[in-house]
Amino acid sequence: MKNNRLFKAIMIGGVLAGAMAFTSVQAAAADLKIGVLVADVSGEEAQGFRAYYENYIADNYDVEFVYTDALEDAAGEKAAIEKFVSQGCQAIISLSSSDRATQLDTCEEYGVYYAIASGVLDDELFEAYKGYEYFAGQVGPSNATEFEAGVKMGEFFKEQGVTSVAMYGAFIPNPMHVFRAAGVIAGLGDTYGGTNDMGGMIGQIFADQKVDPAKVEGDVELCAYLQGYGDTTTDEINAVVAKEPEAFLSVGMATTFFTQILNEAGIPFADIDSFTEANGAAIKEGQLVYLAGKYSSSIGPVFALIKNAVDGNVIRDEEGNAPSFSQGYLVATDGASFDEYYVADNGDTPIYDKETLDTIIGEDVTYDDVKALVEAN
Amino acid sequence: MEAGSEKTKQLLITLLPVLALAVLFILFCTFVKAKGYRLDIYLKTIFNQGVVLAVVATGAIFIYTLGSFDISLGAATLFAATVGVLTYNATENFPLMILAIFGTAVACSLFSSILASAFHIPAFVTTVAMLSVLSAVSAQIITTKGGALGGIGIPKTLVKPLDNPPFKITLLAIFFLVCFFVFQLTKIGRRQKFIGGNPVCARLTGIPYNKYAIIAFTMAGIGVGLGAFLTLVYTPSVTTTTASGIGMNIFVAIVFGGMPISGGARSRIHAALIGGFSYILLNNILELALEGSSAYGITQIVSAVFFLAVVCVTSMNYRTDLLPR
Amino acid sequence: MSIRRKVIGTLAIPVIVGVILEAICLAHGQNVITNMKSFNNFVVYTAIVMITTMALSINLNSGRFDFSLGSMAALSAVIGAKISYALLGGGSGSAYLMLAITIASGALLGLASGCVYVILRIPPIITSLGVTLIYEGVLYTITGGKYVMTEVQNVSMSGFVGTWIHAAVLILLIVVFVIFLFDHTRFGYNYNALRSGQKVAVNTGIREVPNAVGCYVVCGALMGIVGFLNAARNTNINGGQLNFGSIAIMFTAFLPMFIGSYIGRFSNDKLGYLLAAVCMSLLNSTFAVFSNSITASVQSIINAVLLVVFLIYLNNEDLLTRLFVTRGKQAGA
Repeated sequence: MKNNRLFKAIMIGGVLAGAMAFTSVQAAAADLKIGVLVADVSGEEAQGFRAYYENYIADNYDVEFVYTDALEDAAGEKAAIEKFVSQGCQAIISLSSSDRATQLDTCEEYGVYYAIASGVLDDELFEAYKGYEYFAGQVGPSNATEFEAGVKMGEFFKEQGVTSVAMYGAFIPNPMHVFRAAGVIAGLGDTYGGTNDMGGMIGQIFADQKVDPAKVEGDVELCAYLQGYGDTTTDEINAVVAKEPEAFLSVGMATTFFTQILNEAGIPFADIDSFTEANGAAIKEGQLVYLAGKYSSSIGPVFALIKNAVDGNVIRDEEGNAPSFSQGYLVATDGASFDEYYVADNGDTPIYDKETLDTIIGEDVTYDDVKALVEAN
Repeated sequence: MEAGSEKTKQLLITLLPVLALAVLFILFCTFVKAKGYRLDIYLKTIFNQGVVLAVVATGAIFIYTLGSFDISLGAATLFAATVGVLTYNATENFPLMILAIFGTAVACSLFSSILASAFHIPAFVTTVAMLSVLSAVSAQIITTKGGALGGIGIPKTLVKPLDNPPFKITLLAIFFLVCFFVFQLTKIGRRQKFIGGNPVCARLTGIPYNKYAIIAFTMAGIGVGLGAFLTLVYTPSVTTTTASGIGMNIFVAIVFGGMPISGGARSRIHAALIGGFSYILLNNILELALEGSSAYGITQIVSAVFFLAVVCVTSMNYRTDLLPR
Repeated sequence: MSIRRKVIGTLAIPVIVGVILEAICLAHGQNVITNMKSFNNFVVYTAIVMITTMALSINLNSGRFDFSLGSMAALSAVIGAKISYALLGGGSGSAYLMLAITIASGALLGLASGCVYVILRIPPIITSLGVTLIYEGVLYTITGGKYVMTEVQNVSMSGFVGTWIHAAVLILLIVVFVIFLFDHTRFGYNYNALRSGQKVAVNTGIREVPNAVGCYVVCGALMGIVGFLNAARNTNINGGQLNFGSIAIMFTAFLPMFIGSYIGRFSNDKLGYLLAAVCMSLLNSTFAVFSNSITASVQSIINAVLLVVFLIYLNNEDLLTRLFVTRGKQAGA
């Protein structure tokens, strides 16, 4: 008897849920619906991007953004694109990079515009896909830019006269972290495995699956190195502290994992992250002395490319291919320079505000217009 | 009269997973239509999401029937796909790639089983160890070979012609029918249920556990191989996170399908198929109903509560005075 | 068994492990424990492994597989961190307050988990799947999927794990408490009776339901302590662990659980878990020493191989003994 009641309850629940679906209030449809693929839903940078699109862009343009859950693999990305297409999205913006080639193929198959807003395609892949009809383009730090961000960090400390540094390789062999790490070594004026050429260094780091301190040679000594995050990390970071490096150079995530430990140890550190409140505190009150980061509205030009494409003005470069714009990092080395970017790119007054974006949105906008604006910021 | 009512109740409870699947399917279609979305594409996507889980979990039923379980199947799927990609890239021979995928999958599965059988250690512990080893080795291969691409892959043109529902439905149907035949119509399935229900009694009647364990792990290996192949057909690349969600979802799928995790006589070969698709449908319904990033956590809570409710109802016939273990 | 044999049997594994690992380190001009900070970490990690192993073994020894340990640790730690920060703002005494709240919330989560099990009366492995998903969902909803950092980054927290004394006191208290509870109280007698013969124990009048729920409460409280220690040690709590992202912690406790059970034959299994945790912590410290040459992947493989090799020995001990005795006799003849 009890069982029957429970059974009925489940069936009634099902019917009620069905009724809910019918009665669910739907917002008035926007002119443009964009699906956004995200791999990280929790990071400060990811949340800043999302807030910019949902709170600023959506308020100023007739557009609706639909987001995925944290995508884990290529199959998840492809399924998400198919669901977006089913939901009537006219375009996809990608912040997820498990398999960009499949993302592009899927968008081409369904005829929806596609743009990359984070971690651009490497040269070989871009060559293969730049002619795709629905590829609207990519704006973000290229691998060369990632390398350059590392170089600048290394140079900053070399100019400070450091002779011994420790390094955090974050999640090497993640390609972005490999390029940054190679850049840091080059920026310090050192070589890796006898070379300071980008290609030669990253090839070796991929093969080693880490930075091997024994292969770093030059004036600045790499006295300690760690990467990843797990049970041994606390021991490793304490071993680093015990070696008393003059600086701790990280290619990502150090502000999340090590701020407190490095502050207590009094070791100046650098990171490539984003302009967030917590990082502001670390640079003003702690030992963070160098922060290379992106600002939340840096994904504005990608929106412009997509909007233009959907409106019929598909921006193409001189050769008729999808545009690729490299965006650099902003660098803060003290509280004042941090505030310059953090305050300037907040809430209702983003760096890429409506007025600025409107200069690259429209039927007459050209490749050169977008290029000029992106390079200017 | 009372007996008739009891019979109806039993039948209803037995059919509940199927009914739940039907209700979820109707609900899903209702939600998609109510929101004005394209049902055809959504159904294709749901099928693609469910088919890999369904084949791997169907193979795993043989292991679960014995009262054991294998937590490394997701990692084995990743490893088999990785070896498949490496094989193709080295030889450019498609049949050899398929052979490598299935060979690797069955070998991984058999290795766990033989290790457990030969050295008398609990099979689940060997699978925990295999989970670590296979994930670590795959990650090492993928990151070393993938370099700046972050993953490895085969040419998309190779598998594109196969990425369609009729082909996948055919593969699923063939695999399911083979499993159904072995499980329901041969002594293998009957004896495996016997072992799962009462291993001591089974041993005393002369049924060799090791032999049936090896058969079970072989079937699971074939399921893993097929899952790895279908993964590559859907997306012709492998990253370190490929198939990462499958391992634990197999548990949920099998239980959702109305089969006790302890195996034995109440094991059902169709449980994984029904449960796998039910779970995928449920998650997609919740996704549609609770949109927004803050809802990810709530979606999971509702999904888990529903899961427990379904299991609670489907297991009502088998309650004992003692707490189950 | 003679006292001498008991002492040797109890201490053999940790001593052998310590000697081997130190020898490996010395061969490379290093030490397993290099300085006081390293020792502090060693003790804190020992506490984490020992408590997790005890929490896992309490239910697993009774045939109850529990996937929810990791989610209980993370969720109770977040609850403790949020409440203690709201009350003290990270000031003096924050760590102690957080520890107390985390233990209480861990016990409540364990109680809820136990109640789901005894009310639904479905196998614990299945209820733990559901409970894990629910706790991960709650964790994500509370934190928005972000790392919890501000609430756990303060002097009080870093001071707690900045010395080995707190962790050592926790180890001592927990070992005494668990030995007392499971070996010297009616609850413990009932637990052991139910563990070795569920049906007979129930037929003799032992109330199984309160005992099972009690076990879940103790597990929850223990995992609360683990959650607190992890938060203090890592200076953050990962709030974005969806879809069984929290279960890995359970797998790390298998090897110490089997080693501890083996050592327990010579003394007491709880003491065995402590000594097994010491072994695991020594191994962890060694991994840290060689972190530049042993990647995380290799560490996973080494741990997995050790687990299998130890179990092969454990389950074939008689066979191996017979083999060696026979060979010894043959050699003697």
